Amino acid sequence: MLAVDVKNIKKTFISKQDTVEAVKDVSFHVKQGEIFGLLGPNGAGKSTTILMLTTLLSITEGSASILGIDVATKDKEVREKIGVALQDTGIDNLLTGHELFFTTCRLWGYSKKDSEVRTNELLELVGLTEAADRRVKTYSGGMKRRLDLGLSLVHSPEILFLDEPTTGLDPGSRRVLWDEIKRLRNNGVTVILTTQYLEEADELADRIAIIDEGLVVAEGTSDELKASIGGDVITFAFNHNDDLKNAKNILTNSVQEKNELRITVEDGASRIPGYLKDLSNQGVEVSSVSANKPTLDDVFLEVTGYRLEGSESSQQAKQKSKR
Amino acid sequence: MKSKRSFLVQLQILTKRMTLRVVRRPLAELPNLIISAFFLFVYDGALGGVFGGNASGTPFDFANGNFVNFILPVSIVSASLSGAASGIYLVEDIESGVFKRYQSMPISRWAIILAPMNVGAFRVLLQAGLILLIGKFIGADPAVGNVGFLIVLSIAFIWGMGFAGYSVAAGVKSGSSQGAQAATFLFFPAIFLAPTFVPREALKGWLETAAAYNPTTYVIEGMRSVMVQGWEPDVLFRGYLSACLFAAITLTFAVISARKATEKA
Repeated sequence: MLAVDVKNIKKTFISKQDTVEAVKDVSFHVKQGEIFGLLGPNGAGKSTTILMLTTLLSITEGSASILGIDVATKDKEVREKIGVALQDTGIDNLLTGHELFFTTCRLWGYSKKDSEVRTNELLELVGLTEAADRRVKTYSGGMKRRLDLGLSLVHSPEILFLDEPTTGLDPGSRRVLWDEIKRLRNNGVTVILTTQYLEEADELADRIAIIDEGLVVAEGTSDELKASIGGDVITFAFNHNDDLKNAKNILTNSVQEKNELRITVEDGASRIPGYLKDLSNQGVEVSSVSANKPTLDDVFLEVTGYRLEGSESSQQAKQKSKR
Repeated sequence: MKSKRSFLVQLQILTKRMTLRVVRRPLAELPNLIISAFFLFVYDGALGGVFGGNASGTPFDFANGNFVNFILPVSIVSASLSGAASGIYLVEDIESGVFKRYQSMPISRWAIILAPMNVGAFRVLLQAGLILLIGKFIGADPAVGNVGFLIVLSIAFIWGMGFAGYSVAAGVKSGSSQGAQAATFLFFPAIFLAPTFVPREALKGWLETAAAYNPTTYVIEGMRSVMVQGWEPDVLFRGYLSACLFAAITLTFAVISARKATEKA
């Protein structure tokens, strides 16, 4: 049985002012025990997709099931099976970590005695035992994310939804959370996470779906996605705009990014001399050239036409450079 | 081992959690309590000499010689405004995302909504009870005996839940704590377009008309009847009826707003 099966779901928000299609057509499936990454920039529709799958938003069209249970009609049953740590789910800052775990355990149906045991287990699991009796408002961002993750694990869910779990964290805290997510996967938990970090998707996800403007534009393992664009990526850099402009006319199938042109070809290293000769014959001066295997970054550029640069600059990155 | 939680157990757990939040912010409780006590002391100090024991035998003897008995209901009505905190508690949870966390769990939406109202009710009882204690300390002596304090407290409780319902509805509808705070603006017309300092018969013109349409008038008069006059079933009935109607209307409003807020978009 599939952990998650999503078929052509759409989400349209209708207000007096306008109608917004936040998710236009998203389909994917997730096998049990894998980490599935939804990769895309802000506003791509990742969080809306997660909200629909976690029963917090209705699905406008299409269908989705969690462990064979229909999300639209059996939302209470779905909630029993899933753990959720959303980008904007809150943590009560006035309570201590221990109180939050204990309260959540009680709400999930544990007796007082079992809640105490489970609370201590989870505090240990997310490394917050020493801070257990401190109010959450004194926790660092990384500690709060770990607490958030721990709270979503109280009832030992089979499927865990994490919406941008490491956004805003420093590299050290991010690494700690990655290790924890991998450990959960190794223990059989299915994880669906959204991210706008290529590195995170590459490091964590067994399979990745790239979402852009409400559509899944590519899906597969990281290696499959990289292989899908084939060959090597040759990058030409230029010091002068005129050279860049002329080179673009010569390398007609290249993609421009800032002062660079990228071209994807088979056996890139052997093709470089020929390209350089063509450019040189037209008086184009190349400042540097390199050939590399494609990265997830290249895949993203290939399928969306722009580069994903991370949360803070994704909007600027969305200046599509056409071939 | 896990087991299904009943609605009441969920409500109890969430109420306990909300109570912890209130206990952790004791200073937030003080302003309303201080204002209510302030009214009691200042009005008694300023007007007690005129309308209290010295007025005996004069046309101004509407307090039957004890102005504390007469003015105490005004402070109690003021204290019952603390029920408006319910909406603020709820909106804080919405704004912080805690509300969404609970929505993603298989627990009753109504338990999430009612928990802050429970705490609001407890707050009303506590603040009104403290004002009654202060009143007793400075000389309040109900005409019907100590049971009068319980009657006053019960009316205050119902009245306070009315404010709680209003603040929850306003807060949920606006989605902001400012919206819930707006509930407190009701305080001024509620208190001052009513027979606050003198009986209704002494009011004139537009204020007399406004007071006749203000439910606070009947709440204050109901409380005053047991404090000042003795048993007056019709006045007491009108007091309870006004409080109950106000609470029923605002709580219905709160339920409708909350239902919309918890529906999936």
